[in-house]
Amino acid sequence: MNNEKTFYHEYEIFSKRTPSSAFQHQFSLLAPNEEMALIMAQENFMRREPVADIWIVNRKHIKRMNAEEKMTLGRLENKEYRTTKGYGYLKKKWRQYEQEMLDEKEILSWGGERK
Amino acid sequence: MASFNTVSEENQLTNFMQRIEAGEKIEADDWMPEDYRQTLIKLISMHGMSEIMGALPEKEWVPKAPSLYRKLGIMAKVQDEMGHGQLLLRVTEDLLKPYDKNRADLMQDLFNGDLKFHNVFHMETKTWADAGIIGWLVDGAAIITQTDMLKASYGPYARALQRICAEEVFHAQHGESIIMALAEGTEQQKAMIQEALNRWWEPLLMFFGPASKETTGSSKQDLTIKYKIRTKTNEEFRQIFFDKYIPRIISLGLTIPDSTLRYDKDSNLWSYQQPDWNEFKKIIKNQGQRSEARLNLRRHSYEYNSWVRDALSATIS
Amino acid sequence: MSDSVMSPEYTEAVKNLLFQLADDDFMYSFRGSEWLGLAPHIEADIAYSSISQDTMGHAAMYYTLLENLGAGKADDLAHFRPASERRNSILTERVNGSGYYLETPHYDWAYAVTRSYFYTQAKKVKIDSLCESSYKPLAEIAVKVRMELYYHRLHWETWFKQLMSSTDVAKKKMNEAIALVLADFGDVFSYGQQKVAIESNGLIGSEEALKQKWEMSIEPLMTSLQMQMPKIPDQLVKNGRNGEHTKDLEEGLTTLSEVYKFDSAAAW
Repeated sequence: MNNEKTFYHEYEIFSKRTPSSAFQHQFSLLAPNEEMALIMAQENFMRREPVADIWIVNRKHIKRMNAEEKMTLGRLENKEYRTTKGYGYLKKKWRQYEQEMLDEKEILSWGGERK
Repeated sequence: MASFNTVSEENQLTNFMQRIEAGEKIEADDWMPEDYRQTLIKLISMHGMSEIMGALPEKEWVPKAPSLYRKLGIMAKVQDEMGHGQLLLRVTEDLLKPYDKNRADLMQDLFNGDLKFHNVFHMETKTWADAGIIGWLVDGAAIITQTDMLKASYGPYARALQRICAEEVFHAQHGESIIMALAEGTEQQKAMIQEALNRWWEPLLMFFGPASKETTGSSKQDLTIKYKIRTKTNEEFRQIFFDKYIPRIISLGLTIPDSTLRYDKDSNLWSYQQPDWNEFKKIIKNQGQRSEARLNLRRHSYEYNSWVRDALSATIS
Repeated sequence: MSDSVMSPEYTEAVKNLLFQLADDDFMYSFRGSEWLGLAPHIEADIAYSSISQDTMGHAAMYYTLLENLGAGKADDLAHFRPASERRNSILTERVNGSGYYLETPHYDWAYAVTRSYFYTQAKKVKIDSLCESSYKPLAEIAVKVRMELYYHRLHWETWFKQLMSSTDVAKKKMNEAIALVLADFGDVFSYGQQKVAIESNGLIGSEEALKQKWEMSIEPLMTSLQMQMPKIPDQLVKNGRNGEHTKDLEEGLTTLSEVYKFDSAAAW
């Protein structure tokens, strides 16, 4: 509203399901201050799910993008040089040397037990 | 490249309708035609206030509920209704930004009669069976309209409805649970449901609104369908309600208080006796059975405890 | 102490304590539920409802334990007993405001906050003690209740603190509410005629010890708010633990039992 001296401030609520999850945005609520927002957050939006942590952010502290700024988010789909799509031809090459392709599935399995 | 300020209003409207036709979502910060914004504000604020006001008849049954489990069930359901109201008022409040109005203004609009709440919540609740009928059939009717709007063109409303519909599943089962216990109970309990159904049948028909403008003089359905906020007409919703609920009602041994009710296979339509739409007109002027009493109750509590909001406005954060 | 070696005297003491705990939470929750849809802020209404639900859940656990001890069906115990058999503190039965019998009663938020805060602090003190109870099933319930009390306590303390440090109007209303709450606080820690039986069997801490703990728990907040320490009255007008109650309870029970009495043998 016009000045600070009002009951209705907008707060965005974020929460984590478990201690090791990332924070997710939930919804917004009105409250006179942060402390009040905090004691209302869980029961308003997360009544039926596990909650390990909550962040309260006053909307005025969020930097938003206007329509013109959103134009900067556009991008061409010509960047295979930086994705696995650009290197798919290696599969056939390695076959010639009787080796398997090191694809995403294989590489991400390297953290596990030694086979 | 041209900034949006130089694009004509007509172009903007054309782009806007193209976006909607393509199934894109409109967000709070997007350009939108004035009547789209107004239509949303009217629809969503009424939906939100209906949840808030609907809590009042239901909460009366918390103390009276005949078991600890039922008391808890109704408390949880009423909490959800207030929660749905909160989500919807937040969506409305963001749409009101250009007019510099906020929740305080919405509450005043409710109290002075400018902002209406759904006709079905103006009805009296006389017995425990009413609590069951509300959870079973009134929420059932709401689920039919709300699930249609899950695809609404306005993103924030569609997302709020996702949360709402998820909770409605519990409401439907809670209502059925109450009714099932009565339907399988004593003769007196069975009679209680039939009596409640007899009283609620017409309000349930009126829930979906008149089939056309001619019936009551006005209808919002044309704009809301044009702007893909909903896809079906009032009558189509009512027909779906018959499809889903008449077999279930009859299966429990209840009688629908309309001997003319008939399903026609060829037209795939139910024919039925129209409710008294004059009653509907009275209700939408806040002259229903309990309209004034409930508004007074809400207004009184709001004003009596306004010192609380004043007190906490004094803190700045 | 396990059920098989409990003496009749011990069992009686357990049951009496359970009735006090169950009836307290049941009445507190009932009065909380009367606020549904009427709180001064919608988001606050929603949060308050969770506390009322949690508390009714606590009452249900106690009533179920009483059922297991042969006292009767839990729903009968909650709905059927007349006022003279109820063992709640009179604080928990009091109406939410004047004009209760009118269509638009005056529910007072200052009273709701103050009663809730003082009651929740008292409940915390009792629950902490009950976690060490000689009666294991009760100790197990207490551990569960304690988990939910963290939120209840923070919630009401925040409301209490913020209203007490705001406007003069708010402070005046809060102080009036404190006076009303304290007037009825005398029997909160009392065990009534069961005092000796309950205290001597290691079921829960003594009246005096718990009163002191309550005072110690409130002190830091009172000091920071520059307020006088609330004084629990020594003389009791009525002791709810002995079945002495006010008209408020009679009226409340009439509503609570209305549908149940229609046919208590039926399934609902």
